[in-house]
Amino acid sequence: MAVETLLSVENLGITYGQGDEALAAVQGVSFTVAKGEAFGLVGESGCGKSTLAYQLLGYRAPSARVASGRVVFRDTDILTLDRPALERLRGDRISLVPQNPTTALNPGMRVGEQLAEILVVHGRAESREAARIRVADLFDRVGLPLPGRIGRRYAHELSGGQQQRVCIAMALACEPDLVVLDEPTTGLDVTTQEQIIGLLLDLRTRLGMSMVYVTHDLGVLAQIADRVGVMYAGFMVEVAPTDELFSQPRHPYTRGLISAIPRLDGGAVSGQHLRGYLRRSEIPPSGCPFQPRCEVSEPSCATTIQTLADVGPGRSVACQRWRALPPVPPAEPLPATAAAADGAEAPLIEVVDLTLRYGPRGWFGNLLGRPGPQVVNAATLAIRRGETFALVGESGSGKSTIARAISGLLPPLSGTIRFAGEPLAASIKGRNSDLKRQIQYIFQNPDASLNPRNRVSEILARPLAMFLGLRGEAGREKLEHALREVRLESGYLRRYPDQLSGGERQRVAIARALVAEPSLLLCDEVLSALDVSVQANVLDLLRALKRDTRVAMLFISHDLAVVRGLADRVGVLFRGTLFEIGAVEEVFRPPFHPYTHELLMAVPSAHARKRRTMTRRDAEAIAGAGCAFAGRCPWQVGKICEEQAPPWRDAGGSLKIRCHLPVADLADRAIWRGGDDERTTVGVAAP
Amino acid sequence: MAVAQPPLTAPPQVLGRFWRRSPMSLKIGGLILLVHLIVAATGPFWAPYGQAQMGAGLPLSPASFAHPFGIDQLSRDVFSRVVHGGHIVIFLAVSGTLLGLVIGAVVGLLSGYVRGWVDEVLMRFVEAIISIPFIVLGLLAISAAGPQLAGEPVLVIFVVALIYAPRVARMARSAALEIVTKDFITIARLRGESAWSVMRRELLPNATSVLLVEFAVRAGYAPVLVGSLGFLGFGMRPPTPEWGLMISENRALLIASPATVLGPGLMLASLIVGLNLFTEGLARILGRTVQIASR
Repeated sequence: MAVETLLSVENLGITYGQGDEALAAVQGVSFTVAKGEAFGLVGESGCGKSTLAYQLLGYRAPSARVASGRVVFRDTDILTLDRPALERLRGDRISLVPQNPTTALNPGMRVGEQLAEILVVHGRAESREAARIRVADLFDRVGLPLPGRIGRRYAHELSGGQQQRVCIAMALACEPDLVVLDEPTTGLDVTTQEQIIGLLLDLRTRLGMSMVYVTHDLGVLAQIADRVGVMYAGFMVEVAPTDELFSQPRHPYTRGLISAIPRLDGGAVSGQHLRGYLRRSEIPPSGCPFQPRCEVSEPSCATTIQTLADVGPGRSVACQRWRALPPVPPAEPLPATAAAADGAEAPLIEVVDLTLRYGPRGWFGNLLGRPGPQVVNAATLAIRRGETFALVGESGSGKSTIARAISGLLPPLSGTIRFAGEPLAASIKGRNSDLKRQIQYIFQNPDASLNPRNRVSEILARPLAMFLGLRGEAGREKLEHALREVRLESGYLRRYPDQLSGGERQRVAIARALVAEPSLLLCDEVLSALDVSVQANVLDLLRALKRDTRVAMLFISHDLAVVRGLADRVGVLFRGTLFEIGAVEEVFRPPFHPYTHELLMAVPSAHARKRRTMTRRDAEAIAGAGCAFAGRCPWQVGKICEEQAPPWRDAGGSLKIRCHLPVADLADRAIWRGGDDERTTVGVAAP
Repeated sequence: MAVAQPPLTAPPQVLGRFWRRSPMSLKIGGLILLVHLIVAATGPFWAPYGQAQMGAGLPLSPASFAHPFGIDQLSRDVFSRVVHGGHIVIFLAVSGTLLGLVIGAVVGLLSGYVRGWVDEVLMRFVEAIISIPFIVLGLLAISAAGPQLAGEPVLVIFVVALIYAPRVARMARSAALEIVTKDFITIARLRGESAWSVMRRELLPNATSVLLVEFAVRAGYAPVLVGSLGFLGFGMRPPTPEWGLMISENRALLIASPATVLGPGLMLASLIVGLNLFTEGLARILGRTVQIASR
C-alpha cells in the first residue's frame, strides 16, 4: 500500500549543554510517520524520547541545540522555520497533548476560554459565538459531560481524566495533521487511562489524524500504535510494526523491556530482566550504547557503531547480534504461591471495622470544624506471618490511608487494629520501641523518603541504633548485610541518595526497613515511581524477601499485574470500601465483583490486543447509604444498589464478594477470563 | 535541595573551576571581604600608630599622605584607629549574627516540626518582637541590661542576636514546613525519634542552604547595626575604635576635617557592600533569589 509520508525525521541529533559537558540526548534518529498512522516511541526515562517529541513541534529547551538532521513535515523542514512560522504551525497543523494536564491548563482561566483562544489565534472562528459553538462541539467530541456548560469550569473543578480530555480537545481544535502525545495517560488511574485510550482510538478512526505517542509503557502502545520505535540512550534501536515487535522483538533491549512487564496471568519470563540501568557514562564512545547491559554482546559491539538496518519488511534494528538472539521462551506461570501459612495460624495483624477520616480531631475540633469525608469505611482484613496481602484500587480509594492507620500516623475514628493478638495503640506515641521496630513503612517515592543530606550508611545506621542498640563497628556488619540483602555492594554506604538511580534508592529504602528486622512491611506503591525494567528487579527482590524472611507485607498498588505476581491474598478497595477479598488466584478468576472486573478489563496488556468493555463512562458514584460503586457499576441491579449496602457473599474458597448480585450471576457476566492471552489461567483448577 | 555536597578537601583545580563559574557579584564581594579580613587580621601589626595613641599630629589636621584620614580632636591618627577597629567590628557583627542564627534556627525548625500550640505561642512571640523597630528594641535591651554591662562587647553581641533571632526563626520555620512534608520525616517519626533529634538529623542538614543565605544577609547588615548602636552611644565604650562610635565622635568635625568621618564611614560602607555582593552571589549559587533584606 502506497501511503503518503506525513513526517520524516532524518538523522536528528539534539545536544544539551556545551563543550566537554555536552550531552547528546538524541543521536542520529530517523523515522517516518505516514498519514493516518500512529507511531509509538518507547524507552526508559532519560532515553531522549520527550526531547525528540518536542522537537517535532520545533520546540526545544533553551540549553538544547540541534546538532544534525532534518525534521520534514509535509515538505517543510521544521528546523529551518522562524518563530512566526513555527507559531502558525504549532497548535494548528501539529499539536501536543502534554503529560500532566493539571499543570498544562491555566488554573486562572475557564477551560472553554482556553480552548476558544486556540481557535481565535489560528483564525478558526470568525466570531465569539462561532467559537463558543465550536468549543461545545469539541468538548462533545472528546466525551466530556455537559459539553455546552463544562467550558465555564476551571481546571481544578475537573477530574484528572476530564482535564486530559480538555487537553485533547485543545490539541484537536484546529484539526491538525499530526498530534504528538507525551505520556498522556501516565498520571491517570488505570480505568481512566483505558477511557482516554479508547477515546484516542476512536478519534483516530474518525478524524484520520496521525499520532506520535510517547510513553514508557509498552502495554499502552500495544493498544494504540501501528508501529513502534524503541529508543535507548538517544538512539533509535528498533522500529517494527507493533504486533511483530511484541511477538518477535529483535533488539536485546526491546526484549528486556517486554519481559520486564509484569503479566496479568502471573507468568514471567525468568532471567530475562534487563541488567543494571542506563548510565550515560558507561556507554562506549563509539559502539553500541546498550553494550554494557547486553546479554548477547560480543567484544566488537563496544567498538562498532550500530545503525538501523532493515531486517524484514517494515522492520529495522540497530544490532549486529540480532540473529544470535535466542528465540523468546514461552512465559511460564509463576509457581503457585504456596499458602504462606495454614489457616489455623493466628493472624499477625488484624484490622476490624476500621473507619478513618481526615480532618479536625478531638472533641474541640469536632465542635468547631466540619468533619472531613470518611476515607475508609469499616474495612476488615487480616494478614498472617509471611503472607503478602495486596490492597488494590484507584487513587483516592483509601489504600494508603489504611496503611497509615496501621503505622500509627492516623488514629482511627472507630474500629480496632490488633497486632499479634494485642490491640495496637492508635498513635505512635502509645507504641513501644519494639512495636515500632516490627512495623516498617516503605514509601512510594524514594526521592522523598531518603534524606538527601545523609549518606546511605547514616540512613541505614539510624534504625539500627534506635531499635537494636547497634552502633559503630557492631552495626557495620549489619549494614553491609542489609545492603547485600537488597543486592547492593557495600561501596554504596558512602554514597548520597542523589548518587543513586531510582531503583537503587528504592532498594536503600527497603534496606532501611529491613535492618529493623520487621515482621510487617507496609509497602505503599513502592514500584510505581520506577521504570519498568527497574520495577522488575525490585519486584524480584520483594519476592526473594518474602521467600527468605517470612516477613508479612501489606502491599499497596494500583497495578494488578504486579499484584498478581507477588501477593498471596488481595483486597479490592473502592472509595474506602472493600468489595472483594480472597486468595490471589481466586480474585483473578471469575466470579468478579463488577469493580474488580472493570479494573482487570482496563489493564492495557502488552501481550494481547485489546477487547473493548462496556462500562458506563464517567458516571459518578452516588454517595449515601447504598453501594459505593452504584452509579458507576455496569451491572447495576436497580434501586436496591443505591439504597442498601450490599451483603458479603461467599464465592467459594476463601473468596468473598460484596455485591447485591448473586455469585452465579457475577460469574456469568464476567467477560474477562483470566490470563493475558484470553485463555483461562494455567495451573488453577476451576472452582 | 539538590545541591551537590562539596568534598571535604577541595583540590586546587576544583577551587579554580568554582571561581570561574561563580557569579560576578560573588567574586567582587569576595575580594572586598578578603581585603577587609586581611586588614582586620594584620592591621594592628602595621598600623602606624596605636589605637588610642595621642599626639600623632596636630588635632583636626586634614587628610594628608601621612595621615590619610586626618587627625581627630584628641590628636589620634584616624587611619590607624580605623585599621585597629576592623577586627572589632567584624567580630561583633559575625558573632552576634551567629548567635542569632543558632537561636533562630533552633526555635524556627522546632516550631515548624512540632506545630500545634507550641508553634502558635512561639510564632506570636516572635511576631511581637519583630513588630518593634530594631533600634528601639536594641535600646530597650541595653537599658534593661543596666549600667554595669553597658559598653561590653557581650552586650552588643546579645543585642544583635536578639534582633536577628526572631527574623531567622521565621525563615527557618518556613523552610521546616516544606521539609516536614517529605516522607523521610514521616519515617523518622514512625521510628519514634524525639523532636530534637529530628531537627538535628533530618531538618538541619536540609535547611543549611536557607540558613547559610540567611546568615550572609544578616551578617551583611550587622555592621550597620553595631555602628548604629555605637553612633547612638549605646554600643562600645570609648576609646574603642569601633567605626560607628568613631563616626559619632568625629561628627562635629565633618566641616573642619571631613576625612575623620568619611574614613570610617567608607570602611563601614565597603564592608557592607562587600558582604551584600557576596551574599547575593552565594544566594544565586544556592539557587535562591534572595531579596537582600533591608532591615
